[in-house]
Amino acid sequence: MQANTDRYSRQIIFPGIGKAGQAKLGKSTVVIIGCGALGTVAAACLARAGIGRLRIVDRDFIEYHNLQRQILFDEDDVRNQIPKAVAAERHLRKANSSIEIEGIVADVNYRSIERLIAGADVILDGVDNLETRYLINDASLKHGIPWIYGAAVSSDGMTMNIIPGKTPCIRCLFPHMPASGRIPTCDTAGVVSSAPFVIGALQSVEAMKMLVGAEDVSRDLITIDVWTGAFQHLQISDAPSPDCPACQGKYEFLAARFGARTTSLCGQNAVQVVVPGDAELSFEELARRFQEIGQVSYNEFMLRFAVDGYETVLFPDGRAIVKGTNDESVAKGLYAKYVGM
Amino acid sequence: MSVKVQIPLPLRGPTGGLSEVEARGSNIREVIDDLVASYPDIRERLFMGDEELNRFVSIFVQGQDVRLLEGLETTVKEGDLITILPLAAGG
Repeated sequence: MQANTDRYSRQIIFPGIGKAGQAKLGKSTVVIIGCGALGTVAAACLARAGIGRLRIVDRDFIEYHNLQRQILFDEDDVRNQIPKAVAAERHLRKANSSIEIEGIVADVNYRSIERLIAGADVILDGVDNLETRYLINDASLKHGIPWIYGAAVSSDGMTMNIIPGKTPCIRCLFPHMPASGRIPTCDTAGVVSSAPFVIGALQSVEAMKMLVGAEDVSRDLITIDVWTGAFQHLQISDAPSPDCPACQGKYEFLAARFGARTTSLCGQNAVQVVVPGDAELSFEELARRFQEIGQVSYNEFMLRFAVDGYETVLFPDGRAIVKGTNDESVAKGLYAKYVGM
Repeated sequence: MSVKVQIPLPLRGPTGGLSEVEARGSNIREVIDDLVASYPDIRERLFMGDEELNRFVSIFVQGQDVRLLEGLETTVKEGDLITILPLAAGG
């Protein structure tokens, strides 16, 4: 206990948190969806700040180009093919062993999201695509759990708090999702690490403010450009829009069953294939089969095999990420041919 | 009336990479018409069909959402800063 009083002493001195605030943080649950640049920064801030329960959900594995900005990962994680959620959990346990940290390797889709956010006091957005954000928006409103939108690309970033019933939601401000390919992603426009660092840090402090019950939780849409140093507070409505379907209880993204089968991973030249139901793959058996036709390697978390000019990463639940194509039918075809669906 | 318009990353192709441009008009509608006249390729990214502004952008005048004001009819003053903002995706 002494260790913990000492561990948090510097933030307990800060009047906005204090002893009472620290106790509230320790009883709180935060779910971080997506553990890339934003997610690793937020997870590091919140784990070190003593959030009692931290659930980190991510569907991906670590590549060298992630290390430039995804601060919880290192070269060993890439070499050992550790999924992001698992690596994040392992690294954070070393920083703070007194809290519960749960890394979950899973796709966040219409089937899984409500289970994954269960029990959360705040949901923190670290995802890399808009579809999942509109899905988080629906789930947050349906269950009355605040979520903190954040995004960063190039040297720009933006963040906004969504408090169900009190603030506008993402659809109040941006009713339509732009067509894919119309908006820049980190893979097409690049990203300067400081942009997600600032946004992830802002999301974390807003989460902490919500959890300690601060009265001055941000009601603005905040935008930054770390290259020019510009920082803008944009004033938005102080209430949900009466025209917003999601705020009126129509959860179209949950109902649309987004992510049912295949999803092109925007800008990554990769497609994710999700199979209905819960498969349990035997990597040992698959590896034996794939050895005959291509290159294969596996560990307890994932199996990689290269065949027909594509690299496929398989997860134990049957999910796959096919690299080297944006064509969903190609990915599905490969999956059907080699894994079976 | 001359105003400054902040151009978001997805619209900088049509402006030749410029992140801020000047435009003229007495209200937001006129400012956007002037912007489109100067940078015609912006039109298809900013509008759905002929008239309706694409609803994946929000527009702010001097940091305030135009929906809190008079929408596209919101009047602008000399030197005002207009921000066109789509939802950003990366993470």
